[in-house]
Amino acid sequence: MPTLDLINLRKQFGSVTNPVVAVNDLNINVADGEFLCILGPSGCGKSTALRMVAGFEEPSGGDVQIDQQSIINMPPNKRPTAMVFQKYTLWPHMKVYDNIAFGLKLRHLPKNQIDQEVQASLELVGLGRYGDRYPAQLSGGEQQRVAIARALVLKPKILLLDEPFSNLDALLRVRLREELRQIQRNLKITAVFVTHDQEEALSLADRIAVMSKGELQQLDKPATIYARPKTLFVADFIGAMNMLDGEVNGGVVKVGNQRLPSPAECVAAPAKIAIRPEDVIVTQTGEGAWHGRITQVSDLGHYRKVFVQSPDLGMLKLYLPKSIEINDGEMITFKPTRFLIFQGPLPPFEVKL
Amino acid sequence: MKIDPTPAYHQPTMFGYRISTRTLRREAFGIFALVALTLIIIGPMMTVFLWAFAERWRQPALLPTEWGLSYWYETLARNDITSAMPMSLGLALTVTALSAIICLPAAYAFARINFPGRQGLLLSFLAVNAFPRFGLYVTIAVVFFRLGLVGTLPGVILIQLVNTLLTMIWIPTSAFQNIDRALEEAALDVGAGRLRVFFQITLPQVFPALAAALLLTFVSTFYEAQGALIIGIPGIRTMAVLMYSYINNQIVVQYGAVISLMLWLPSLVLLSFAQKFLRGNTVSSGFGV
Repeated sequence: MPTLDLINLRKQFGSVTNPVVAVNDLNINVADGEFLCILGPSGCGKSTALRMVAGFEEPSGGDVQIDQQSIINMPPNKRPTAMVFQKYTLWPHMKVYDNIAFGLKLRHLPKNQIDQEVQASLELVGLGRYGDRYPAQLSGGEQQRVAIARALVLKPKILLLDEPFSNLDALLRVRLREELRQIQRNLKITAVFVTHDQEEALSLADRIAVMSKGELQQLDKPATIYARPKTLFVADFIGAMNMLDGEVNGGVVKVGNQRLPSPAECVAAPAKIAIRPEDVIVTQTGEGAWHGRITQVSDLGHYRKVFVQSPDLGMLKLYLPKSIEINDGEMITFKPTRFLIFQGPLPPFEVKL
Repeated sequence: MKIDPTPAYHQPTMFGYRISTRTLRREAFGIFALVALTLIIIGPMMTVFLWAFAERWRQPALLPTEWGLSYWYETLARNDITSAMPMSLGLALTVTALSAIICLPAAYAFARINFPGRQGLLLSFLAVNAFPRFGLYVTIAVVFFRLGLVGTLPGVILIQLVNTLLTMIWIPTSAFQNIDRALEEAALDVGAGRLRVFFQITLPQVFPALAAALLLTFVSTFYEAQGALIIGIPGIRTMAVLMYSYINNQIVVQYGAVISLMLWLPSLVLLSFAQKFLRGNTVSSGFGV
């Protein structure tokens, strides 16, 4: 039952006097058969963390365990992991068949078994008849499929993917993402997928680990990450969010010229109020509502994206149903149905109206 | 609505395709440049070629008036020539092989390890080529004389090795640098050891550039005369050195022509052999152009 544990994992680059901490005390556990995404902006240390699992970077501290066994002292070629890289890394002087068979040949398998397994893995990624081609004859998407086949054919305990689709165009990215998810489900393989694309993470992952500046911000199911972000960073980074300044005082939080209810646990202090664009309704009355002028309306299929300039709050982004008739330049009144109150480093309080 | 086709009658054509006069002018310039270049490159070679087979060639005849192989017989009958040819070939092969053993690991290190002073060291190989060689060789000859290396084979090998450093380090360094490290990591990842990664992944990628470097090194060593002359005299006489003395000492042009044709032979053979795996841009890309 392959499981992966990162325990207090740390990586620091640079000199002793001027260290740059790429990964700081990272603790992530990946269950057997789980698809975990590490999500974060570029430079947050997510790739470094993955490369420490693969063995390409040596940790400065902490441990990496597969099935509760430390693999920290194993060279990359001995580790039971297989990696799909961001760049196209098929060996250009070898045919697709030889690219996939390379690792099998190293394991001294009989020729006919190698043939079978290469063919099976090619068919798994939908490239059954591509064995005789050279990588240069394949498109980017096909090359990354072969790279996935090359990783899977070795039946690794952990499959590692380092932004494998970020060089592909948007449509292909979505298609390959879905195919990969299907393959992973069928094989029940434990996988760690690094990406900076939140949509990719939200649609692929069983759980998402959000990282920022080398630190783990939150490790949760996609729905939880979206609905209950634990830190301001996650709230801002995942999905669209309106961040407003507020002031908590005696069971209410004052935002702009309105008072909204706040839980009793909130301390009387300034706070950040986070409202999702879809957690807003348009109302007629001014009771507990803000008003603002619509500056831009974009039709996005089943809903509208609306920018509202409010005198109290500044610019807000709202997702409104198409049943409401609105136009550029009109004034509207609106109020939140749900919001989060962030105070300091504590997890936020959720308020539903 | 119908659009009138562009009247075609005043457009010039080339190979059946309609082209603009601008294109035509550019094409004409290209052809002119090609012809001029061919004359400049092929012209002198043709002259040498004609002289080697000329028994008699006086002004103002455009071609030799009498043809024959008598100078070839004479040249090949000489002892110094027949012993210089294997000496030159053996020397060029030895120097190329030694240079490869010394320079290729160094090039890999230059490409893959970022050590302090890396840039400076890389540029230092240019230094040998930046000064007049003759002066350099004379100073080295003084040192070699004290070490008893003058007139010996090791002495000539050493002096010629110095000349090969630039080519054999710069071209392979650039080639190794062009190999994406992720390609090597991907091979490590599927279980290959470091040595296997080098020989089965890295080396095949850089092979054309390495072959170009080896070829250039061999040919330039084979023609090298200054170092061999100053350090080698009197014990070591290569073909290139002989050619110098023939051209300096003989009034008859044919001897020099015959020897230079003989000097061409190995590089022609090598070049035709190398054509299989050398693409035109290999050498230039090796220099990072």
